[in-house]
Amino acid sequence: MAQFPLTSNFEGDFVLQLLPVDTENSMDEVTELAAYHSVGRRVKARPGHILRVRKQGSTEPLPRTMKVAEAGFKPTECIEIIWEPASQQGTSA
Amino acid sequence: MALLNRMDWYDIARTTNWTPKYVKESELYPDEMCGSMGIPMEKWEVYDEPYKQTYPEYVKVQREKDAGAYSVKAALERSRIFENADPGWLSVMKAHYGAIARGEYGAASAEARMMRFSKAPGMRNMATLGCMDEIRHSQMQLYFPHEYVSKDRQFDWAHKAYDTNEWAMIASRHFFDDMMLTRDAISVSIMLTFAFETGFTNMQFLGLAADAAEAGDFTFSSLISSIQTDESRHAQIGGPVLQILIDNGKKAEAQRQIDISFWRAWKLFSVLTGPIMDYYTPLEHRKQSFKEFMEEWIVAQFERSINDLGLDKPWYWDQFLHDLNIQHHGMHLGVWFWRPTVWWNPAAGVTPAERDWLEQKYPGWNDTWGQCWDVIIDNLVEGNLAKTYPETLPVVCNMCNLPINFTPGKGWAVKDYPLEYKGRLYHFGSEPDRWCFEQEPERYAGHLSLVDRFLAGQIQPPNLAGALAYMGLAPGEIGDDAHGYSWIEIYKQMRMKKAS
Repeated sequence: MAQFPLTSNFEGDFVLQLLPVDTENSMDEVTELAAYHSVGRRVKARPGHILRVRKQGSTEPLPRTMKVAEAGFKPTECIEIIWEPASQQGTSA
Repeated sequence: MALLNRMDWYDIARTTNWTPKYVKESELYPDEMCGSMGIPMEKWEVYDEPYKQTYPEYVKVQREKDAGAYSVKAALERSRIFENADPGWLSVMKAHYGAIARGEYGAASAEARMMRFSKAPGMRNMATLGCMDEIRHSQMQLYFPHEYVSKDRQFDWAHKAYDTNEWAMIASRHFFDDMMLTRDAISVSIMLTFAFETGFTNMQFLGLAADAAEAGDFTFSSLISSIQTDESRHAQIGGPVLQILIDNGKKAEAQRQIDISFWRAWKLFSVLTGPIMDYYTPLEHRKQSFKEFMEEWIVAQFERSINDLGLDKPWYWDQFLHDLNIQHHGMHLGVWFWRPTVWWNPAAGVTPAERDWLEQKYPGWNDTWGQCWDVIIDNLVEGNLAKTYPETLPVVCNMCNLPINFTPGKGWAVKDYPLEYKGRLYHFGSEPDRWCFEQEPERYAGHLSLVDRFLAGQIQPPNLAGALAYMGLAPGEIGDDAHGYSWIEIYKQMRMKKAS
């Protein structure tokens, strides 16, 4: 367990933000931490959607249960937090 | 005794390139200070300054300018502009003075370097006058806000800002140190006078003078108009330098310096002038949008200057024109949202009428930045002020040191431009920002952005209170909404009307 800095690029928001996470956090937990700084502050919640993490430049989200330590992130690397219709679940998790 | 006309003696009087006997030319003009790119002395002697002025003429004109600006100030001291002006206008003054006044002293140092180390005699003459200009600008822009310090501590930042680690000042210092304080005389003439002053000071001083007059602040208007008359003279130092560089096969290097400086200036003005023109200046006093001012005073003028010299537009020109619609909206939203971290009180500028104006000037505004502001407005209407404050830091660009931001909402296009250099991951807000870094990585690599400093443990305790202390923002100085959130009343009324 160790603190790990990432950069959050949250879909619909306007700015990159510093996102301290833990190496043991899952990608789902990372999205919750990122949403705390964007949703309800400058981004409206989207009912019927979940949030996913993907690396910048990638179109595929990372597995929801993958841990930060397993993702191969560099410290402060920019990750994209994107909305995904809940109905898509099971197709890309 | 009859005096000779200026042009009967000017050329011979400023022909001062004597042949040194006791030192070598390379000692008199060390290349790291001179930056003559191997072009021999005699080639520099063809420098022909487009604006010729002698010292007696300079003193006479400057005395009249000073008398004019100070007289207006004295005459209008009882006009109670501080008490009567819109709070958004006071924020314009606070932001301007803090960001500019002490930087003018830095510019005096840069002019002094050209005065001493340029191999072109005419350039040395112009820079001598330019150096005195900049000292005058700093003195005036410290003196004029001083009368407000006893009324509002934020005006103290006219002097204090440059000595702090406040984030906007880190950005400002990074740019001005790069352009003015760490470059040789020739580079200064290109990067400061040609790329920056020719275009961007027009923006800040002419554009703002028009807005000031509209807002009824004739003291500020006459002050910055007075300054601009100097700028428009000494900004011409760089033009003939560029001609000499082009004539001697150094076009590529000249172009590179212009491209770096122009982009860097643009980014700084997107946070300093953009919000002022499109959000802080009261709607009824706005002359043109920021984009319209940029297109008229910078794009057209700069393109003409470049074409006249036979140079190319910067390689990122199309992107720059595109970003005129975008970048400053995000800078404004960021400043407002992180408002405790600035020394002025940002005006939100998003009442329904102002949003209509923004939509008209920037089609699509409501579907993009408007979407972020919708959430903020909902929170304010519902009394949820805590949600309108940040709880983390924005990631800032390792070149411009400003928050990395771009279009939100339906047009979401925010992106990081990373670069790994010697094992460190750098972040940039755009391709041109990253390109600037890549031109001379060692010049910039050691600098720590505010976020880098936070992660290095330099900001303690690592929270908002620690950050404010690190930035030197004392109680009574930290920023808040310029109008004390009174503008939200119209939204409350709209909601009540809708509910009934």
